Amino acid sequence: MQHYLISLLIFTPLVAACICLFLPKKFEKAFRAVALIVNVQQILWLLPMLVGFRASGMFQFVERSNWITLNLGSWGVLKAEYLVGVDGMSLPLVALSVFVLLIATISSWSIQKNVKGYFVLLLILNAAVIGSFVALDFLLFYLFFEFMLLPMFFLIAIWGGPRREYASIKFLLYTLLGSILILVVMIGLYTSVSDPVASQGGLLVHSFNLLHMMEPMNFISNTILDPNNPWQIGWFNARYWAFLLLFIGFAIKLPMVPLHTWLPDAHVEAPTPVSVILAAILLKIGGYGLLRIAYPIFPEAAMHFGMFVGIMGVLSIIYGALNAMASKDLKRLIAYSSVSHMGFVLLGAASVTEEGIAGAVYQMVSHGIISAMLFLIAGVLYDRTHDRIIDHYSGLSSKMQNFTALVLVGFFASMGLPGFSGFIAEVMVFLGSFRSNATNGVLHESLAVIATSGLILSAAYYLWTLQRMFFGPFHLKANIESDAIVDLTSREYVMLVPLAIAALCFGIFPQPMLDMIDPFAKYLTALVIDHGKAITLNP
Amino acid sequence: MNALFVICGLGIISLIAEIANFRKWLISIIVLGLLGAAALVVADWNTAVAYYHDMLVFDNFSLAFTGLIIGSSLLWFWTASDFFEALFHKTDKSALILFAIAGGVLMTSFNNMAMLFLGIEILSISLYVLAGSRKEDLGSNEAAFKYFLMGSFATGFLLFGITLVYGATGTFQINTIANYVLTHAGELPSFFYAGALLMLIGLAFKISAVPFHFWAPDVYEGSPTAVTGFMSTVVKIAAIASFFKIFATCFSTIAPVWYTILLVIMVLTLVIANITAVYQNSVKRMLAYSSVGHVGYILLAFLADHKESDGTIFFYLAAYAVSSLAAFGALILVGGKEENTLVERFNGLFKRNPIVAVGLTIALLSLAGIPPLPGFFGKYLVFAMAINNGMIPYVIVAIVTSLIGVYYYFRVIIAMYFKDAVAEPLKVSTSKEVLIVVLILITLALGIFPDFLIQLL
Repeated sequence: MQHYLISLLIFTPLVAACICLFLPKKFEKAFRAVALIVNVQQILWLLPMLVGFRASGMFQFVERSNWITLNLGSWGVLKAEYLVGVDGMSLPLVALSVFVLLIATISSWSIQKNVKGYFVLLLILNAAVIGSFVALDFLLFYLFFEFMLLPMFFLIAIWGGPRREYASIKFLLYTLLGSILILVVMIGLYTSVSDPVASQGGLLVHSFNLLHMMEPMNFISNTILDPNNPWQIGWFNARYWAFLLLFIGFAIKLPMVPLHTWLPDAHVEAPTPVSVILAAILLKIGGYGLLRIAYPIFPEAAMHFGMFVGIMGVLSIIYGALNAMASKDLKRLIAYSSVSHMGFVLLGAASVTEEGIAGAVYQMVSHGIISAMLFLIAGVLYDRTHDRIIDHYSGLSSKMQNFTALVLVGFFASMGLPGFSGFIAEVMVFLGSFRSNATNGVLHESLAVIATSGLILSAAYYLWTLQRMFFGPFHLKANIESDAIVDLTSREYVMLVPLAIAALCFGIFPQPMLDMIDPFAKYLTALVIDHGKAITLNP
Repeated sequence: MNALFVICGLGIISLIAEIANFRKWLISIIVLGLLGAAALVVADWNTAVAYYHDMLVFDNFSLAFTGLIIGSSLLWFWTASDFFEALFHKTDKSALILFAIAGGVLMTSFNNMAMLFLGIEILSISLYVLAGSRKEDLGSNEAAFKYFLMGSFATGFLLFGITLVYGATGTFQINTIANYVLTHAGELPSFFYAGALLMLIGLAFKISAVPFHFWAPDVYEGSPTAVTGFMSTVVKIAAIASFFKIFATCFSTIAPVWYTILLVIMVLTLVIANITAVYQNSVKRMLAYSSVGHVGYILLAFLADHKESDGTIFFYLAAYAVSSLAAFGALILVGGKEENTLVERFNGLFKRNPIVAVGLTIALLSLAGIPPLPGFFGKYLVFAMAINNGMIPYVIVAIVTSLIGVYYYFRVIIAMYFKDAVAEPLKVSTSKEVLIVVLILITLALGIFPDFLIQLL
């Protein structure tokens, strides 16, 4: 059992989705029940993993079996494995996904249209999300990564708001473009990397194993991505291009300014639970991919383009925050604040310091919790009035005291107030980006200084929103029924309170999770810096 | 070879079914016979026997493609069962289809140019008639006529090419020609090269590569949808197998002569077919252009390494055939009696019949190359092969065209899920629902475990 925990996590939702397909359409309660049971069961399988995890830079709970082996004659053997495992970065993200998916399922109770299709797609999405966080084989990762796209597309396209067609196609085209760029690099890596164990005895085995790709020794000489290759394409060496393609591919998902424009549209049109999953989990795969694939496989390029990545991060922080401030729609505001907060992940990663990378991972988890909460808050209001325009409300605190209290927690947590998880993450990112110049010379100190203004901006837009919507005299726009404004239902408490507690817990007791992340951050930093210095590209 | 006997026998049985009055059992007999033929192919595996003074050779290459043709035909008979029921002359049509399949099998197993020519003619003449089998329909008549004219023109090129090659080498046997070319390098007369290029043109017509594709969209659109499905799967497999066989064995040593020409044809095929597909309002016509476009990817694999690409091409064709059969099966169901396949016809299909909509979605996603469906692995193998051989600019072209492909396939998907239904719920027989589930399962199995099939060659 212990050895199959990860597979159980991935395949339970898939099996449940197949079962749901065969249930008749009218059993709406059954679909909800199946989804809930799957989520609870996933938590039960996650617990032994969290308990049994030993803090070290190694992958644990690894499962490995052959998946595709193709003998392709004169150009070697294609080998892809079913290789999954977790380390200090993926386990917190898997835990976050399982937790948020449970809350999203509860939030999906309000879905009325085609319940069967909705829950089947949600379960497939669940499997794809977990799969992409644990896959250690590039082909397997890519499979899950792409497979996430379609359920998400249909969830926005069928259950979305009035402009769902535009939003879902935009989402699809943007992310598909990103995955094509990743695919190009994957093919390049596949032709360049050999499996050191299986390749003995004159047989050339091409490997998709990410761990093999991280080791410069495993590159076949004179292939396109070999560190000693003479391939100069345009301005850069082929390896620099490969890093940039991966970076753009994952940055679209993250999303990074200026590739973020799909996100606000997708969020505004998506139903609440889908928004929650999109913000809390799917965006993280961008950051995860950078740290799992782009950075360790192309360390010298990561060092070379570090300043560029850092500048894009700071740009996202500031530009996202300014857009949030100008947004009239509450959900759009939260979407832009996501862009701003994910900028910290880029900045932390760019610094290539332990603090910075640990901060980036912490920020991913923390933002997952907080953004889930914020989108649920927007959903609470939308469910009551079908209106999210900030100016249409005033003085809500007089009618919805408990809701306002939770909104305060959510907004303050997102602002990065001390005592909440966002604070820990952002402080670590600042420390890392500030220290980067002194330790490895990748980033300039001024970037950290400019990035701090993001904190002031986020305080500004959140406090201004609070003041406009929740304080002052109670007043609604004429066409909103004031009877609709009632305080939280028990189902909404069940969703919001655990998230608020989690944001607080990780803000006050960061140590357990930092202990988990730290060995990974140390390992990755050492790997990127050592290999980055060792590899000198030809031109 | 035994499979070929069975298929020809079935064709003759079909012809006498009308006289002997067992029409009712005919389709069952054909399906059983084809299953038997498939079993014979499996039994012959790894034998490589030559027949009739080396005119036909059933090696693993031929057997694999024969198996693929028979498998696709079996699934096709299932999707097209209404085609035999709805119109008259049931036995004629099934006989024509069976002879076309026999022609296809010859095209995969020839070892002699005369056999190639025979196979192509047996296949084509049956299809000329089938394309026109909706006699009252002007479009169908146009398709038959156009196909006949263009097809005979192409055959003329092919035949002239064969005669020139024969004139230069004195033989029809492709192995002997290959040896002759190898031993007489530098002293071949220039009309030998002209012959090779004429054969290239003739075969490019048959596989419908740009700029020899002009017949394809009109013929595909005008023919009954079931026949179109047959053309774009079984016929395409046979044509590509013969193309591969000729150019990978016979003219392999004179690759520099045809390489650049084929490169241009490949790029044109990818770009023009995929861009034109975007502007089509009829889904059938869109699929016609997409099937032309897929030839471009196959040619890319062939150009990357023409000797070792057989496994990749085989897998690509298998993935393509399964997805195309599913797409045309759905097209037959949605088009109805009037065979109306405009995009609007698919509006709200998900509400009208979710099973057909999901089946068509998966088929289109596989054609678009979205993982984990087999279309993705097909494209992946092609691209990996091309990158490995330093064809990076062409891979970029192919990637851009496959993105364009995503766009036009998604137009249908969008219509199915976003637009409001225009008609009543679509009633579909249980057998067709089972078929769609079977096709979905085969598609997923090919996509998740591609190695079983690629390993064959």
